This record gives sequence, structure tokens and C-alpha cells, in this order.
Amino acid sequence: MKTSWRWLLVCVTVLLTMLHGSAVQERRVVRISAERFSFTPSRIALAVGEQVDLVVTSDDTAHGLRIEGTDVDLTIPKRGPGEIRVTVSFDKAGRYEFACSRMCGAGHNYMRGEIIVREPAAQ
Amino acid sequence: MQKKWAIAGALQGLLLLGMPAAGRAQGSGLSGYMELHYNKVEPQDAILDFHRFVLLMSHSFSPRIRFVGELEVEHAIVEGLEDKGELELEQAYLDFLLTRSFNLRAGMMLVPVGIINERHEPPVFNGVERPFVDTVIIPTTWFEAGVGAHGEIGNGLRYRILATAPLDAAEFNAAEGIREGQQHGAEANVRNFAATGRVEYLGIAHLTMGASFWAGDSSFSVRGVDSAVKVAEADARYHRGPLELRGEFAHVSISDADRLNAALQRQIGVSPNVASAMRGFYGEAAYRIWNAGAPRDLVTFVRYENFDTQYRMPEGFVPLKLYDRDAWIVGATYFPEPDIAVKVDYVRLANQSGITKPSNGFNVGLGWWF
Repeated sequence: MKTSWRWLLVCVTVLLTMLHGSAVQERRVVRISAERFSFTPSRIALAVGEQVDLVVTSDDTAHGLRIEGTDVDLTIPKRGPGEIRVTVSFDKAGRYEFACSRMCGAGHNYMRGEIIVREPAAQ
Repeated sequence: MQKKWAIAGALQGLLLLGMPAAGRAQGSGLSGYMELHYNKVEPQDAILDFHRFVLLMSHSFSPRIRFVGELEVEHAIVEGLEDKGELELEQAYLDFLLTRSFNLRAGMMLVPVGIINERHEPPVFNGVERPFVDTVIIPTTWFEAGVGAHGEIGNGLRYRILATAPLDAAEFNAAEGIREGQQHGAEANVRNFAATGRVEYLGIAHLTMGASFWAGDSSFSVRGVDSAVKVAEADARYHRGPLELRGEFAHVSISDADRLNAALQRQIGVSPNVASAMRGFYGEAAYRIWNAGAPRDLVTFVRYENFDTQYRMPEGFVPLKLYDRDAWIVGATYFPEPDIAVKVDYVRLANQSGITKPSNGFNVGLGWWF
């Protein structure tokens, strides 16, 4: 009887650990650095439906981050400890441009990148 | 297959150009930068110069059609000729953003040659004044009217290519090279167009590499002369943590310089002694010694420059050694705020002349971007 209880306790512990593990499974994080007049990286690949956290910092002045096909249009704080973190996910495959949306100097319009979203099989 | 994608993308971009603006993408903006300088060149009196007051205007007609304008007052006051100051329309263009890899631009534009010409906001470069190579070999701020295309291919390969009005060789001289030859889009002669372009590769972390060219027939105002000017340039910037390294090399060649000098001598009475080749290069190392974020943000730097506006002379002309110059610049930039730069530097200039010695200088600058 005592052995059965022990087995039950072990099984419940394993099950809870598995459930907890899947619940806190972290999303992929892509770190982007912005500076006059580029994003690095400027090309990001995702799978359809994949949720990705974009963490964006600036190495100089304040920039903007606008992502085509989404509501994302945020200000990236000036160089320092600040950052923006935004979760993106796309339902359709395709190319989604992102660009600096805050005038940052003579090369502002060069400051663009793209998110390439592919069907999972095509990854 | 990729070509099909590119054509389809460009066509889609053209269709999108006509679409109404979407939400926050439409609107106008005002930004700019300013530079106040204290210059003490030995043994002259020191000067206080509000060197640049620059306003940038931008407007998005739609997310894909944008206007950018830049109006600059140099040396605070514009009075008659250039002895006091200049009012310059350095940029006024429309960008037609078709796809990431292909976009069109037309209007008054910065010539995409070198590090500084397109990146000259005060917090972006070290030193109170711009590098000598970016002043007398590459004539920053170099701007001209024209049309062109730009874009980015893959992960970090960028290009821009422009057709602009050419330089006017009648204005070249020994000390400042091709600088005074800019037409600045002011009723510019375009009997021949000049071609200019730049490629940049940003695909390696922390490193930016670039190469630029400019080529054009520049003798339209000097009869009987066929002077083609070619500018070739290469540069690199490496930035990792507190360390930043940058280097640039630029070479200018002028064909038919002997006949150009002879023709100009007939016009103005003295030969301008224009070289057949000019050359300059520099290397700079900077280190962020206080890196705790503004206002605890201090960068020190050292730069060596070598520049010669008479690097090669046409046959029968002797190079003047006072134009074969080099310079050491040491200084610091303090950032009380990321967009405000307080700069100080010391410039030690030398030349190869045994007669004329250049003056060293001490500079303090306050620059800001908003």
C-alpha cells in the first residue's frame, strides 16, 4: 500500500513537471540593434503562427519600429538601459517589411528590414 | 525565380504607391542638428563660430512616398558672398519606396560617397570638425540634384546609385581639390550627367564595410578640355562594446589636368595647379571609457589622417609639398544625453614643405540632434 502511494506521488510529480515545462516554454527571442541607419539583423525568418519576441535596443538616438501588416509602431528609446519588447506572429506566409518610423537623420529612409514568414514545412 | 519575385515585388510596390496613407505613417516632422564651435588655431586669435544650424523637414504623403528636406545655415549669417556664411538646400527629395530591394529617389540628394557625407550629425562622429579627408578629398557636404535608386538585398547588402549634375572643373584648385566644383543643383549644367553609387555590407556582426564611386565629365565650362573626374572610396567601421574603429581611403583622378590648368590660366591669369590625382586616408580608434549610459558617457579617440591634393601632377607641373599633409587628432566626446555631444580635441598638422608649416589647433564643440 505504501509502495502504491509512493508510485502515485512520483507519477503526479512527473506529470506536473511536464505540464509546467510546457507552460513556461519560452518563445524565441530575436534581439535587434538599431543605429543610424540600420537594423541588425535586417532580415528575420519566422514560421507561420510562430510567436517571437522582438527585443529592440538603440545604439544612438531614438528610433521607431513599424512593422507592416501589424499594429506595431513603437519608439525605441535612446542608447541606454531601455529597450522595447514586442511579440509578433503572422498567420500568412509572406514578406513583412519593418522600418524606422521616427526621423533619425539623413539616411532615415534606408533604415528598413524584413520579416520572412514561411510555412513550417518550408523552414 | 528570384528575379520573378523581385519584379512582382516592384509591381506590387508601384500599386501600393497610389494607396491612401495609413494611420500613423502619414504626417510631417521637424528635426535637425546644430554645432557651436570654439576654434583656436595657433597663433591666431580664437573664434567662436555657430558653424551649422540645420533643419530637417520630412513628410509622408503615404507610407511609401516620402519627402525629406534639409536646409542649412553655415556660420550663422548669410551676407553677400561666402565670406560670412552660406544658406544651403542640402536635401530636398522624394523617396518612392517600392520594395526593400528597389526604391526610387529624385530631387536634391547627398552624394553617397564616404562615411561622413551621409552620416554627419554631430553625435555620430568624433572630433569637433569633420575629418580632413572628408573635407578636402571628399568634399562634404557633397549634395547635388538628380535621380537614383537604392535598396537592400539579402541580409545587409545595400546599394544606392544616382545620376546627378557633374562637378565643374573650372572651380577646382590646388588646396581644396574638387570641393569648389559642386554645382549644388543651382541651374546646374547637365550637358553630361555624373554617375555615383555606393555599396555597403552590414551582414557581419559589428562591422560595416562600404565602397563608393563618382564618375563624370566635368569640363563643360572649359573649352577644348576633356576632364573626366573619378572618385573611388572604401571604408569600414567596426563597433563592439566600448571599442569603435573606423578607416577610410579615397582617391580622386582628373584626366587632362594639364590642359585644364593651361585653359584656366588663360581665363584667370594664374594656373590653379590642379592635380591629376588626389589621395587621402585615415584611421581612427575610439574607446568609451565611461560606459554607464548618459550622463555617464565619455568617449576618447585618436585619429591619423594623410591627405594630399597634389598626389600626382600632370606632366610639366611640380607638386607643392605644402599640400601633402597629415594630421593627428586626439580628443574626447562627452554625452550628457545621447543626442548631445560636448567635444574637445587637439589637432597637430604637418606637411612635407620645408618652408610653410601649418598651424596646430585646439577645438571645443557643442553639437546636438533633435
